Amino acid sequence: MRIKKMTSCFMAACLIAAVLTGCAGTQAGEASGEASGTGESYAAKSDGTGKTLVFGDTTFNPENEEPDINPHNAYSGWACIRYGVGETLFRYSDTMEIEPWLASGYEQPDDRTWVITLKDDIYFSSGRKMDGAAVKECLEHLIQSHDRARTDLMIQEITADGQTVTITTTEPVPAFLNYLSDPYGCIIDMDAGISDEGIVAGTGPYTASALVSGERLELVKNENYWNGEPKLDGITVLTVTDGDTLTMALQSGEIDVAYGMPYANYPLFENEDYTFTSCATSRTFFLWMNFESPVISDPAVREAIAMGIDKDGFVNTLLGGNGYAAAGPFPDSFSFGGSQVMAKGYDPQEAQEVLEGAGWIDSDGDGIREKDGTRLSIRWLTYPSRQELPLLAESAQATLGQIGIEVIVNSTADHNSIRTDTDQWDVYASAMVTAPTGDPEYFFTTCCLDSSMVNNGHYHNDTLEALAAELSQTFDTKARSDLAVQMQQILLDDDAYVFCSHLQMSMVSKAQVTGLTAHPCDFYEITADLDIN
Amino acid sequence: MRRAYKNDAGISVRYQKVKKDHIRLRLGIFLALAMLLLLGALFARQLCPYDPNLQDYSNALQPPSLAHPFGTDRFGRDMLSRVIMGGQVSIFSTLILVAVITVFGTGVGVVCGYAGGLTDGVIMRICDVCLAFPGLVFALAVAALLGGGIQNAVIALAVVSWPKYARIARSQTLTLKNSDFIYASRLAGCRGWQIILRHILPNILGQIVVTAVLDMGTMMMELAGLSFLGLGAMPPTAEWGSMMSSGRSMIQTYPWVVITPGIGIFVSVAVFNLLGDTFRDYLDKKIA
Repeated sequence: MRIKKMTSCFMAACLIAAVLTGCAGTQAGEASGEASGTGESYAAKSDGTGKTLVFGDTTFNPENEEPDINPHNAYSGWACIRYGVGETLFRYSDTMEIEPWLASGYEQPDDRTWVITLKDDIYFSSGRKMDGAAVKECLEHLIQSHDRARTDLMIQEITADGQTVTITTTEPVPAFLNYLSDPYGCIIDMDAGISDEGIVAGTGPYTASALVSGERLELVKNENYWNGEPKLDGITVLTVTDGDTLTMALQSGEIDVAYGMPYANYPLFENEDYTFTSCATSRTFFLWMNFESPVISDPAVREAIAMGIDKDGFVNTLLGGNGYAAAGPFPDSFSFGGSQVMAKGYDPQEAQEVLEGAGWIDSDGDGIREKDGTRLSIRWLTYPSRQELPLLAESAQATLGQIGIEVIVNSTADHNSIRTDTDQWDVYASAMVTAPTGDPEYFFTTCCLDSSMVNNGHYHNDTLEALAAELSQTFDTKARSDLAVQMQQILLDDDAYVFCSHLQMSMVSKAQVTGLTAHPCDFYEITADLDIN
Repeated sequence: MRRAYKNDAGISVRYQKVKKDHIRLRLGIFLALAMLLLLGALFARQLCPYDPNLQDYSNALQPPSLAHPFGTDRFGRDMLSRVIMGGQVSIFSTLILVAVITVFGTGVGVVCGYAGGLTDGVIMRICDVCLAFPGLVFALAVAALLGGGIQNAVIALAVVSWPKYARIARSQTLTLKNSDFIYASRLAGCRGWQIILRHILPNILGQIVVTAVLDMGTMMMELAGLSFLGLGAMPPTAEWGSMMSSGRSMIQTYPWVVITPGIGIFVSVAVFNLLGDTFRDYLDKKIA
């Protein structure tokens, strides 16, 4: 007994000592401006070696298909462009219009030919001049190695002459410039090649010096940068997959900028020591209906679901106001988005009437409706990696439950394989950037047509198919917008998809950090203007 | 010298008696606390001041108050009601889990120990395989295979936890098998199953029960762990592990969302562990 007591006392003493040591370490770390415990300092410092900054990001990792910064590999182009290594021929303005970047302009002699003129005096970080031949080599390698780019761009031939590149497509591609502005379109020096780690030489303000996939990326100033002198000498991009760890890293001063912080932690930084930069993006939380499901194929059920989701409650309470209730797939910032379309609002009373009108009655008094012996129960497939999706599921579970629809949630990382089997789900809730290229066509071709790879709910509408065919041949921006609005309205009238909210993207930084601005396309983060005082 | 010895012995006997009473008192207290927890879990629905799944956005993330002693979560649900309902799920799942692994493991272990031979060899090698993997990691793999849900989490933990009981029961059976009283009962014409039921099981039960009660805490933690990782209870089921997981990003901003289910886990695990400990002390003294 005495030994037991002594052991308990010893353990308690050890615990207290550990806690005290931890506290002491933090204080010491704060005092010296260095992160303690790791044996390595990541904190921003302004000393003899130059001015550096640490950027913490939850998304830069292989699980997110961003293993490195090679734009010709999966979604690594996002890292390449976000961290200021690569740049594209054209870019998106703040209103998501296309404007020249590495290119100075373009001409379109016919529907299938694009003549792009490049800016003079732009050099890769490798020292090579960015000319037509370099762009040709890069784009040829891109379409050889990147399936999505090959399908989007439909390039038949590229010819280069000095600072001019002429690209011919196999078919008219109205959104060609938008696709070129996708992160995969970062222009890299193929002579310098792609290292084993996935490092490339781009034209951006920073050059990658070291990369450990899923861990960190070291950047140094590109001394030859064409568009102003980068203000920092070096940047470390740290992958911090867990949002709470990211929060604590910013609190402890280990990082200077945080991307991907959970909303719940925002209040900790709403003070003069930190700065927020926010922007509405086209990342949309929406529901896909499974038209093979006996319950969902009933239009009344789909309509009731569309009217049974409390979008405002979800956005204002569960997202803490960090989003916007959605009508269609695109946010207000697009000419074809936001209130251009009419969506059903949250109306539980009307939803109940619709269900009753269709014969769905709660005959056994358990709160869930039935029809011809079938219980109105839907299997809601979603995934936890987007932290807002399980919240949406629970919210819908309550609001749809009130109108007599039972929701059985399956929140699993395995959703991509389950969604291909129409017997396993009724409603699939996902988050997707609906207009990464600033053009509406991408969303329809990806999700809603017979030819769409991920139209797993097998939705079909003849008019939509016809309009999609027309959209693919229409070059005029205004006409494309009009077509996109009509197509969105068809989706909403069929209740084939229910668009719940658009995400507001925020980056949190120390107050000393300047030149960091969130952009609606979510691509442009580290620029030459980024600085720390 | 002789007198002093007598005195020492007297003090020692008195000391033993006081200590035994002390253990009995502790056993009573912890048994009462455990019963209280079980009753709380049994009548959870009646004890909840609010519907644990009722969402009320206007009341989201309210700090503890008289109306909501444990505060509310981000859906505006009353945390006290959810902790109580979570207790029902956590405690009953743990009870079922421990009952299943105890009965199954002990049964297998006794049969192996008594029968010996090939049966013993094969089953014990299976046990070795199960015990060779780190418990929770193996359970994670099984739960991931079976999919989410508290039932599947229970099955996953049962699959990895029964060999421990089989091992204990087998070793105890092997010790008892060669005792005189077993030989005697065999001579008296008892069959194998009669010997197991009448003579072996009653003699190893104390050890098994102590292990089972001590395991309650461990299993509760492991179930909560699986739920925390998203492989246990599915929404909107209130379960302590999943409640902590869904609120973990709020530990600094709205701590009651994480701390209150944490207190639930802490109290129950502590009560069952202390009960198991005291029960062991009690049995030790009884045997002595």
